[in-house]
Amino acid sequence: MLRYITKRVFAMFLTLLIIATITFFLMKLLPGSPFNNQEKLTESQRYALNEKYGLNDPVPVQYINYLGKLAQGDLGYTFQFDGRTVNSMIANGMGPSATVGFEALVFGTLVGLILGIAAALKHNSFIDYGAMVMAVFGIAIPSFVFAGLLQYYVGVKLGWLPVAFWNGPEYHIMPAFSLSVGVIATVARFMRTEMLEILGTDYILMARSKGISKQAVIIKHCVRNSMIPIITILGPMAIGLITGSLVIENIFAIPGIGEQFVKSINLNDYPVIMGTTLFYSFLIIVIILVVDILYGIIDPRIRVAGGKS
Amino acid sequence: MSMSERKLTPDLFRPANLDTGKGEEITKPSLSFWQDAFRRLKKNKAAMLGLFAIVFIIVFSLIAPSLSKYGMDDQELMRANLPPKIPGLEKIGFLGVDGVDIRGVDQYEMKNVPAEDKFWFGTDPLGRDQWVRVWKGTQISLYIAFLAATIDLIVGVAYGGISAFYGGRVDDAMQRVVEVLVGIPNLVVIILFIIILDPGILSITLALVITGWIGMSRIVRAQILSLKNREFVLASKTLGSTNGRLITKHLLPNTLGAIIVTSTFTIPGAIFFEAFLSFIGLGIQPPTASLGALIADGFRSLRIYPHLAIYPASIMCILMISFNLLGDGLRDALDPKMRK
Repeated sequence: MLRYITKRVFAMFLTLLIIATITFFLMKLLPGSPFNNQEKLTESQRYALNEKYGLNDPVPVQYINYLGKLAQGDLGYTFQFDGRTVNSMIANGMGPSATVGFEALVFGTLVGLILGIAAALKHNSFIDYGAMVMAVFGIAIPSFVFAGLLQYYVGVKLGWLPVAFWNGPEYHIMPAFSLSVGVIATVARFMRTEMLEILGTDYILMARSKGISKQAVIIKHCVRNSMIPIITILGPMAIGLITGSLVIENIFAIPGIGEQFVKSINLNDYPVIMGTTLFYSFLIIVIILVVDILYGIIDPRIRVAGGKS
Repeated sequence: MSMSERKLTPDLFRPANLDTGKGEEITKPSLSFWQDAFRRLKKNKAAMLGLFAIVFIIVFSLIAPSLSKYGMDDQELMRANLPPKIPGLEKIGFLGVDGVDIRGVDQYEMKNVPAEDKFWFGTDPLGRDQWVRVWKGTQISLYIAFLAATIDLIVGVAYGGISAFYGGRVDDAMQRVVEVLVGIPNLVVIILFIIILDPGILSITLALVITGWIGMSRIVRAQILSLKNREFVLASKTLGSTNGRLITKHLLPNTLGAIIVTSTFTIPGAIFFEAFLSFIGLGIQPPTASLGALIADGFRSLRIYPHLAIYPASIMCILMISFNLLGDGLRDALDPKMRK
């Protein structure tokens, strides 16, 4: 197990190094420098600015410096505001982004679990079909389409909830809900399949024949065992949440990382794009690593077998 | 009652015609795997509905733009932001296709649009016919999705196949590369690629393919690894089959089911990512538009001109749901493990 973890952590740093290298050289490949188009600058001012940001050094030196700074967690400066670092921008956006993501994850998992369990217990019934139709819709409909429609009908037409911005608890409901739709659908489908499989196993029959009540068997044996593999879909789900948050934050004007990221793409603010990209990669890679390790600890049967795709 | 009272006499019975050959006779025509799979697919109503919707949308996206006399980028500011008006259906008020906007003003009258001009999906802020734009956009979205799925398929099958078939050191080396690539979040790669390559149909497709083939290659590799050691492959090898024959006659046909199912799920994924890119401003650039770009544009004026977003969004939702339903149906039909 320890060998496996060491190997994975090593692979993680290798991946991060590759991503950092790609982002750095992409930044160098892009034409122009941040100070070229400002004609007001004199030659010496431009030289001083380039010197300040280390842009006069040869590219390999810049690369080493960049990696050195990165190792200390320094992502550089943004072009949008004078003297602000990418780190501080990410730190500012972290709060709202993490809040919406967490709310969506908790709400989505709970509702998904309930739907999936209900569908499996009432297999081939109205509840089952209803839950699975909902799940297909939830997986198929992009979250931004759902968010837009929700905003239009609930926010504008009915006026029940604030249309956008981030000023209080009632502002969380629509974004968190639109973000959680995919989670609900994925968890519900997965839970249903797992439950059905476990309901048909011999040890459930055994537990029932020992005289344990149906409720106790379902809660203590079925649900518990079905929930173990749910951990495997946490990784893809986290990626889905991050992808979704980019547009959801934009639609609902939430001052999070995703909103800043999209804004900086439109403004060609390369340090922010690269910094946020690295941050997202780091987040996703760490989540996948933690999920894989957790899974190996909880269910030793699957250990090191390469995992599912 | 009367049955039990009736006397059963021996002359009511006759010996059956005993024919030993009958037991060996096959009454049903034997079905090949594909016929069997297709029969199962046909039974699945949801999947057939999805298939029908996909075919309908593809055919419609090809012929619909020619039903209007305007092209995709014919601007005319005099007729900007017209609500939809469909001849025949305009009398039915609640459908909202009578040319009246949300304030209750008949925009067609107000803007003096000639009576023969009826925009079925309305017009956009530049006065372009939304009907043409929506269906052309569907074409472009589908084109990107199919192209991405095809390239994914070719690269993925080749990579996974070679890796599994030759095994040993080749497999080791090829899988190390995949391990690193899998770790890189595809969202990140796609965004980075679009930033260096200018956004366009080809660069979007390329960006989708760069990470997209890995899923396919892993599935093909797993399938071929398990098939490679089966007896029928060994038998064929013993009879002197060449590698080429083994691959084309035994390994690939048996992997085809998994390949088809994976491809069916790649397409909605590609449609989603393309729409997502358009939504954050990295997608198709104007005047061309994809479904995602149209939805993104439409959302900007959702409060005043809901028709701009509603139509492309509905078509996109129908497409995504249909592909998912078809994929589920195909998986149930082709995956022997799921057979009941």
